[in-house]
Amino acid sequence: MLTVTRRNHWVPYFLLSPFLIVFLLFIAYPTIQSMSLAMRQTYGPQFSRFLGLGNFQSLLDDPLFWTALKNTAIFAAGSVFIQLPCSLGLAMILNSSRVRSRALFRLIFFSPSLVGLVFVAVIFGMIFEKRTGMLNILLHRTFGTDPEFPWLDEYVMPALIIAALWLYVGFNMVYFLAALQNVRQELIDAAYVDGAGSWHRFWHVTIPAIRPVATFVVLLSLIGSFQLFELPYLLLGNSGGPDNQGLTLVMYLYQTGFEIGDLGYASAIGWVVTMILGVFAVGQRLLSQREEA
Amino acid sequence: MASGTARQLNINSASRSWGTFSLGVWVITAIAAVTSIFILLRPSDAHHGMEMWTYARTHVQNYEPIVKRWNDNNTDQPPLGIFIIGPKPLERRLLSGFLSDTPVADLIEIERSMSGLFFSGPVEAVGFLDLTERLHDEGLFDEINNPSFSPWTSRGRVFGLPHDVHPVLLGYRADLVEKAGIDVSSIETWDDFTRIMKPLIKDLDGDGRADRYLLNLWHTNIDAMEVLFLQAGGRFFDDNGKAAIDSDVNARVLATIVSWVCGPQRIAIDAPEFTASGNRLRLDGLVVCSLVPDWLCGVWKNDLPAMEGKIKLMPLPAWEPGGRRTSVWGGTMLGIARTAADVESSWEFAKHLYLSPELAESVYRTVGIISPVKRSWSLPFYDEPSPYFCNQAPGRLYIDQAPNVPLRTSSPFNEMAKDHVKDAAVDLRRYALAHECFDVEALLDQAHQLLARAELRVRRQVQRNVFYRGED
Repeated sequence: MLTVTRRNHWVPYFLLSPFLIVFLLFIAYPTIQSMSLAMRQTYGPQFSRFLGLGNFQSLLDDPLFWTALKNTAIFAAGSVFIQLPCSLGLAMILNSSRVRSRALFRLIFFSPSLVGLVFVAVIFGMIFEKRTGMLNILLHRTFGTDPEFPWLDEYVMPALIIAALWLYVGFNMVYFLAALQNVRQELIDAAYVDGAGSWHRFWHVTIPAIRPVATFVVLLSLIGSFQLFELPYLLLGNSGGPDNQGLTLVMYLYQTGFEIGDLGYASAIGWVVTMILGVFAVGQRLLSQREEA
Repeated sequence: MASGTARQLNINSASRSWGTFSLGVWVITAIAAVTSIFILLRPSDAHHGMEMWTYARTHVQNYEPIVKRWNDNNTDQPPLGIFIIGPKPLERRLLSGFLSDTPVADLIEIERSMSGLFFSGPVEAVGFLDLTERLHDEGLFDEINNPSFSPWTSRGRVFGLPHDVHPVLLGYRADLVEKAGIDVSSIETWDDFTRIMKPLIKDLDGDGRADRYLLNLWHTNIDAMEVLFLQAGGRFFDDNGKAAIDSDVNARVLATIVSWVCGPQRIAIDAPEFTASGNRLRLDGLVVCSLVPDWLCGVWKNDLPAMEGKIKLMPLPAWEPGGRRTSVWGGTMLGIARTAADVESSWEFAKHLYLSPELAESVYRTVGIISPVKRSWSLPFYDEPSPYFCNQAPGRLYIDQAPNVPLRTSSPFNEMAKDHVKDAAVDLRRYALAHECFDVEALLDQAHQLLARAELRVRRQVQRNVFYRGED
């Protein structure tokens, strides 16, 4: 036994090494490098100028950055205040024993998550088309609305939130469903016996019971929202859309870094996104600690 | 006893695990080793000899016979190979290569929208070979349509041979126009166009809303709008690379476009090219006219065969009487990498390919693009009637306008400027709708304000880039 243990002492390091090598090469080094880049303006490795906090200073005066931040925040709010309540509602319906074929409905609602974002963008691009789009044809034939209703010209953010709703509502539903299935039935029964109505049972028993999962899902949604890129990029044709209504922070980072070639400025945007996500993560941690206490 | 049993179990466990690792680890390691050896022994795809990268399959199809002959006639040199790389990967790989000295091809074709990235650093750091002196010394400036050099000219230096001219004509549904008894020869200006063609705007399904409009143009389609800005003599940058967006010409064009896309004088419809929905609208006859660069002729023949015999071409209506009847849209250049192993051979091949009458003919026949080489313009195939265009000779119509195509900027900030002008168009349309103000003259002040905002934003970005600055 001792012989085997001594012989194995390098094994954990060996098994960890692939991760560590990849982490150091592709996470740690680029992270340090990006901080250095965020303080520079460069044109390849040969041309570089130190700016200090100049890129961050420019960000503060950059209307496109604020537009991107505002759009991202609106999308995040849409995710948290529209998408998650829908997910919770669906989960509660499908958690009810009165609903038949629950497994089938769960699969149906979850299935959009199996479709890639690229396909979702293509599908919703077709749905939101003027004149030939399914949504406008349906609304025109049913209510006589304008067949040229400009979803992707004037209502970019609602269109994005609708597309994301379709994609993620079932995915988040699974988290809530798992949490709801762990709510102790005797607590709900006890509340019922004490005369609590359905709203009070939901608010005072179910919600506290699923709060840890809900907090986690909110954090995931916020992080996902602040990383939003593919959906608007593809839906709006490689741009922020008309008047940059669909420009998100990560899209702006991409445009700045890879379409304009200003890697320093893009790195500064990246660090701002990191700091925002850091604040969310710390907030979630503090909330969790308070609940545990 | 218990200790003895545990030791026995551990020994058994150790013997079952084939030494330190389990069987699974050894299997995975063996697979990794075998596949690594397989990959190492596999014949290399590396090409020895000159390499050319392009982003378009049709280009390769047209170049292959010429390359084959070049290789046959130059057996003393390693053969030249052409490789297709998608536009975005090509852009990224080329930029990485130029900035970090990783290998790139000897000859590279790039599209106009990519070029800005390569010209955004100091002029001496541009990864393409400066061809200016060669072009002067060999008389190629006179031999090739001069405006076609402008997108590939940065700070007075030319970095590529132009592949095309890409003049723009107006394509119209001859079946609809002629049925309405409209004589297009009486159209000289855009004002004539809107006045004479207006009867063709129709409510086809009886819902009280017009369905068919005169022109495929939208305030969010900045590529098409840029065509009109350029035609009118507008531009987004001056000769020194300084943003010059807020000009009288640009404001008037912007206000006119907005008056075309909304309000009682609306004449435009949004039918994007390269999309199923846009093609549906064209096939259904909801679009009467389109801005048609020569390359779009090939695209339409391929994507919209049902339109054969229904389309005719005419010069663009001018912005004022006697004004320019064409514009320009898109473009490709062939550049030589500074790091090319044999610059002279690369240059010889570039000329052999792009100046070839054989290439001019095959490119015209396959994709409808006319050559920028002026001596090719007299070749007879350009005069052949095309059944697709009601037996007009599109080649000749485009060549007639080729010398008049406007000059363009090569500013790395042009794509950004276009985005900001698009935003100005969106805001001006909102303003027009909110104030129910659709008259061009009444929109001019607001157009100026919005273009001034766009100019300020672009200048700010130009100013930030110390490696590329105009003379401001």
